Parts: sequence; C-alpha cells; structure tokens
Amino acid sequence: MKLNERSVAHYATCNSPPDKTGILFKKGERNTAYHRRWFILKGNMLFYFEEKESREPIGVIVLEGCTVELCESESEEFAFAIKFDCTKAKMYKMAAESQAAMESWVKALSRASFDYMRLVVKELERQLEEVQEEARSLQIKNKQKKHQPQVQAATPGFRGASVTGFSQLRNPLEEELPSLGSSSRENGVSWNKPQSVVNGISEGWAWEGEGDCSGKGDGFRRPPIPPRRKTVGGLLGSPVSPGTDCFSKLHDWYGKEVAELRIEWLQGQ
Amino acid sequence: MRFNEKELIFLSRQPSDRSAELGMRGPKRGDVVKRRLVKLIVNFLFYFRTDEEEPIGALLLEQCRVEREDELVFSIVFLDEAERKYLFECDSRTQCVEWIDAIMKSSYEFMRKNLIFYRTEIHRLTGKDPLEQYGISDETRFQVNTGLPPLHPPLP
Repeated sequence: MKLNERSVAHYATCNSPPDKTGILFKKGERNTAYHRRWFILKGNMLFYFEEKESREPIGVIVLEGCTVELCESESEEFAFAIKFDCTKAKMYKMAAESQAAMESWVKALSRASFDYMRLVVKELERQLEEVQEEARSLQIKNKQKKHQPQVQAATPGFRGASVTGFSQLRNPLEEELPSLGSSSRENGVSWNKPQSVVNGISEGWAWEGEGDCSGKGDGFRRPPIPPRRKTVGGLLGSPVSPGTDCFSKLHDWYGKEVAELRIEWLQGQ
Repeated sequence: MRFNEKELIFLSRQPSDRSAELGMRGPKRGDVVKRRLVKLIVNFLFYFRTDEEEPIGALLLEQCRVEREDELVFSIVFLDEAERKYLFECDSRTQCVEWIDAIMKSSYEFMRKNLIFYRTEIHRLTGKDPLEQYGISDETRFQVNTGLPPLHPPLP
C-alpha cells in the first residue's frame, strides 16, 4: 500500500512540537535482539530513528487503534508492548531505561490516538457551552434582581460547571497498569465502535447550532433541543471551524459579557 | 521508511468519517483522473479502486493544505513539497465544500489547537483548568506552549 512517506517523514522532523521523545529499546522483527533507538511521538504517530541526530526516521508505527500493555521480558526490565486488534497483527515489544520512563511512555502512548484527542476536544467544547449558558442565565437573574434589596445567595456562577461522569478520560494508570482491554475506550477498542465513542458524547448534547452570535441580549435560555447525533467531523460552521468568523465574534462577545457580569456582581456584594 | 502496513489497512476498513467516490488525480505529471473510493478516517485519507477491498494508498493529513481549485475540485498539497498537488473532483459544489471542511478538521494538529483554545477559554472564565479533573493537565500534547525547540536545524 502506498503512503505519502516523504511527507510523513517530514511531519516527524518539522518544527511542530513532539508529544514525547526519548530512547527506547525496540525488539527487532527478524533479529530478536532489542535495538536502541531514538523515538519521537507526534500525534498518533510514533517515529523511530537510529539515533537522536539522524535526519530521517527508520520507520513509524501508526498508533491508531492500539493498546499498550506492560509485559514480561526475560532479557529486559521495564518492558511494554504496543498491540493491535487486527488478525495477524504485529506486537511491538519495547523497553524503557527506567521504571519512570516506562510509565511515562505507556501513559503517553495509550492516549496518543486521534479518537482520544477528538473525545477530549468534544468534551471541552461541551463544557465551554455549559459555562457560557450558565453565565447567560446568571446575567438574566442579575438583571431581574437589580432593583431588589436582597443579597444574592452565593451563586454557583459559572464555577464548577460540572461534568457528568466522563470516566473515559481518566488516567487508567491510576488504578493499576493493566492492559487497556476491552473495557477501555481510550485507545483500545476504538476500532470496534469508533462511532459509538463519539456518539456516546453527543447523546448528552442538547445544543444545536453554535454560539450566540445572534442571541446577544435577548436573554432567554434556549430550551434544550433533543439530543441528536452529530456527524463526526461534520460540524459545519461550528465555532471551531476556522472558516467562519462566528468564532471570534463569540469570543469577543463573551469577553464583554463576562466583564459586565463581573461589575454587576461586585456591585451587588 | 518502514510502517505498519497491516494495521493501516485494518484502519482503512473501519467506519469512516466521510467517504465517497471521487475523481482523483495524483501529483505526478502525466497522472490522469481516475474514479476512486475515497475514505476519510481519523487523520488519514485512504483511496481504493472502486471494486477493491484493500486500499491502493493512504495520505496522512498532517502538515498539508486543502484548497478549492474550482467549483467541483479541491486539492491537497503537503507543505514539504508544495508543487505536488493531489486533485479531487466532486459531483457537486456542496460535496466539494463539505470535503474541504472535513479534511481541514482531520489533522491532529488542528484538534490540538482547538483543545488549547477551549482549555484556555474555560480557564479564563472559571478560573479552573478543565483537564485537571481527568488527571491529564500535564500531558505535553495539551500544553498551551510546549516551548520545545525544533528538533533539527532546517535543511539547507
């Protein structure tokens, strides 16, 4: 199968910051000895070089869909393996130079997938919307109570926008260092149902449409629209899209709104 | 450069974010337009002969630029060799626009930028780092400015 290899190799060495670099020992494919290599993790791609000064990678491991496990090795301490779910898949056996290095690599690699990054982004996007909504409704309440003498009870304001049970993002290593088997959604089983990981989040979404570029000042909390599946990657015109200017409008509008809110709240104290 | 081909092929069989039959022309002089099944999965664009299960090839969509060439056509170029264009012909203007949008959003680096924006914004508004509760606030990939120097001096 063809791959745009030159450009992929360029991605490895271009000046976008890597997610992790360091020495690891990689078990050879034919030759079963472990070879010392310089590794660069960028996104969901794990590149390996003969040495740190090498200009071109020897190879790359595409990490999408992999699981990372500790493993026993007769010859190496601090060994772990990168495994894939497909039939006849390779297992990449690696060893780090220390316990700390091993844990750090296992952590970084197990969260390296595009799917995981997408999950985190969607979650933060949702949180931001929640925070914005709370601020809007707080502003309404403030306006209504402006002429009343009672002191406003300690408002939750927009602090502590709670997030309901998003355990998938938790560090699985906090429990133990297990294989990220079928119960994990981070890297491991994305393959079985990649759509369902994203849909699992969107089911909690109520908001259709983005931002309040138009809604400024009308002050009503929009009734939640029944949750609906958003197409992965198909958020046309979302605030995230660089193609629209709703994004910066939203940003500016919100900043102004928060400034006003702060003043009002302080005056009400 | 070696790569884990089997796993990439397996990836190409997963449900895609978007797929369609498009006319595709490679970047070499003399390449002609051929009908291909094009599948966008995470940050890869796979292309297949329309009746085959195994992809002919894959394009990693990092460090690339997508542009509208005309009403129905968009191009992908990679920043390290910007003269070489991959061209894709769509069946409608809408399809063309949708594909461009989808591909632009399909890079890991693009998502990282969004994440950093949301993280910063939420922190600005609430005083809290939204990643803290997940124990991932220290991950390099989520940092606002990793401040790492380029790995190699630029090639002459």
